[in-house]
Amino acid sequence: MSNTVEAQLQDGSFQFLAIFLEGLPFIFLGTLVSGFLGTFLPRNAFERFLPKNKTAAVLVSGLLGAIFPVCECAVVPVIRRLVRNGLPASCALAYMLAAPIFNPVTAISTYKAFNDSWTMTGSRLGLGYAIAVIVALVMARVAHSTYIKASELEHAHDHDHPRTLTAAMHNSLKDLMDVGVYFAIGVTLTALLKTTLIDPTTDFWKGLAENSFAGTPAMMFLAFILSLCSTSDAFIAANLANFREAPKLAFMVFGPMMDAKLVFLYSTVFRWKFIFGLLVALFILTGASSLFVEYSLEQWKPDPPQIPLNP
Amino acid sequence: MPVLHIRLFGLLATIWGGVLTYFYVSMRVSKYLAENFHHFILLGGIGMIILGVYSIINPQEKEPSSCNHHEDHHHNHDHSHCCDHEHDHHHTHEHKHHDHKHENEHEDHESCCDGHHAHDEGHGPGVTYLLTLVPLLIAMNYTQDRFSDAGLARQGAYEAPPVSSAPFTREDLEKNVPKNARGEFQLSLVNAYYAGGDRELHQVLADLPVEIEGRLMEEKVNNSEGKRRRLYRTFISCCAADATVAGISLDFDTTNSEIPNQSWVKASGTLTFEEHQGRTYTVVKVNSMEKAEEPYSEFLQRNR
Repeated sequence: MSNTVEAQLQDGSFQFLAIFLEGLPFIFLGTLVSGFLGTFLPRNAFERFLPKNKTAAVLVSGLLGAIFPVCECAVVPVIRRLVRNGLPASCALAYMLAAPIFNPVTAISTYKAFNDSWTMTGSRLGLGYAIAVIVALVMARVAHSTYIKASELEHAHDHDHPRTLTAAMHNSLKDLMDVGVYFAIGVTLTALLKTTLIDPTTDFWKGLAENSFAGTPAMMFLAFILSLCSTSDAFIAANLANFREAPKLAFMVFGPMMDAKLVFLYSTVFRWKFIFGLLVALFILTGASSLFVEYSLEQWKPDPPQIPLNP
Repeated sequence: MPVLHIRLFGLLATIWGGVLTYFYVSMRVSKYLAENFHHFILLGGIGMIILGVYSIINPQEKEPSSCNHHEDHHHNHDHSHCCDHEHDHHHTHEHKHHDHKHENEHEDHESCCDGHHAHDEGHGPGVTYLLTLVPLLIAMNYTQDRFSDAGLARQGAYEAPPVSSAPFTREDLEKNVPKNARGEFQLSLVNAYYAGGDRELHQVLADLPVEIEGRLMEEKVNNSEGKRRRLYRTFISCCAADATVAGISLDFDTTNSEIPNQSWVKASGTLTFEEHQGRTYTVVKVNSMEKAEEPYSEFLQRNR
């Protein structure tokens, strides 16, 4: 084995374990919650407190992350069970996409990472919420059977399963196994790409920093590959000192909604065709809106203070 | 889910939980994750072991009477022979992809009301074991709990500091940075690294006597005479996958030290700044260097 391959194996293994160890407890937490929710939450419980109006229901669902903060790993098994329990798919989609960004933990980490900047924090949370809601509202007009996997719909039939501890544990175990497989595939792919394809120290990557139109899609691609946790990715974005606002914002908005491991996690709930469409839509929406925010910030930036010539 | 599948999945959950617990107990977790994640590893590990063992011991519902369907049961097949209740057979969606098997057709499926019927759309235990344990075993075999030299370079070990303001002033330095017995400032490597990017600080800090702790590696920047080594620290937010490596140059007057690469050392000397190919690097002219104790955690945290 050549030294390069050996080094790549070492680094890939190191990064695989780092992401696996970091994510698995939260995946477990998510599946535990989902298993117990699926067992004990009365069917259609959400219909009781969500507004009857479809649009209002989606708008409210996008805000639920503020009350039930979850990272992107934990949210997938949770919404999977909620859909089975009767939560409208569009509301689940709004919650799934918005919650990893629109929650207090992410807000605080972004605020601290960007030196107490309300502008970046507000832009990130605002864009995350807006994009999640737009996608969900569009999908609310489409039959959910076209994007939710058939197997998930089959689970959503109208009868109660036994509400016992054993049933809840079995549901949690089943969810853990289903999601764990895709999590392992996603982490393997991420570690592989990070040790072979992506090298941010090269001139190519450095050159992208000078132009936001090139840097924004590049940073979304990087966020997709790096598969970072939404609660901490702001610290990475903030340290990408040479990039301007749009690439950093796109990195922090796109990553929690779509990354290499999430593609596989999403496939436990959604059809592959929809996941691909979602990827493209999020890429375009996030990129365009991030560039718009950067342009707007430049327009509204106050003039630099004038230094008096004769103090 | 058949009983055998539940037991096998329970065993796998126990193995995953065991791996997490092992990393915590052996303290290897400190090589991979930021400190504030360590307790999650222990809790997650114990939780998965409990879930796994519980499922192995209780692979099925013990009380068939709990199969009490309160609501209308919308299926196009007859469950009445396994559960004593009425179904009305309104079907709200098509079941084209599977058949609900009857009790006597279930492999090892004593309870027809285990909460899943025959909706096993997930992977079987064989595929699940293969896809999760193989990469895990490969990773555990090849990892050395740190980046290779090439990996350190990719994480930025040889990068010049970004042009920015350093996070401290001379006043901060005098007030907050302790001195050793020789009167040298015990400066953090990260602060020394970032100082390279702040031209105003160069004049303030140049020629400062410092003692800096870090890990040794080969120097590849401006080292034609081979008298230099690199001292680095890794800082992270959550885990090693988001690591950035900050490195400064150690310049030895005569020959390099004999201390091997990857050792933890304390280097004492004079802080200087050097231009190379249009970028400014921090260089310490070393007077002495000694081995240092390895810290509990390899990493410095970004948000601290």
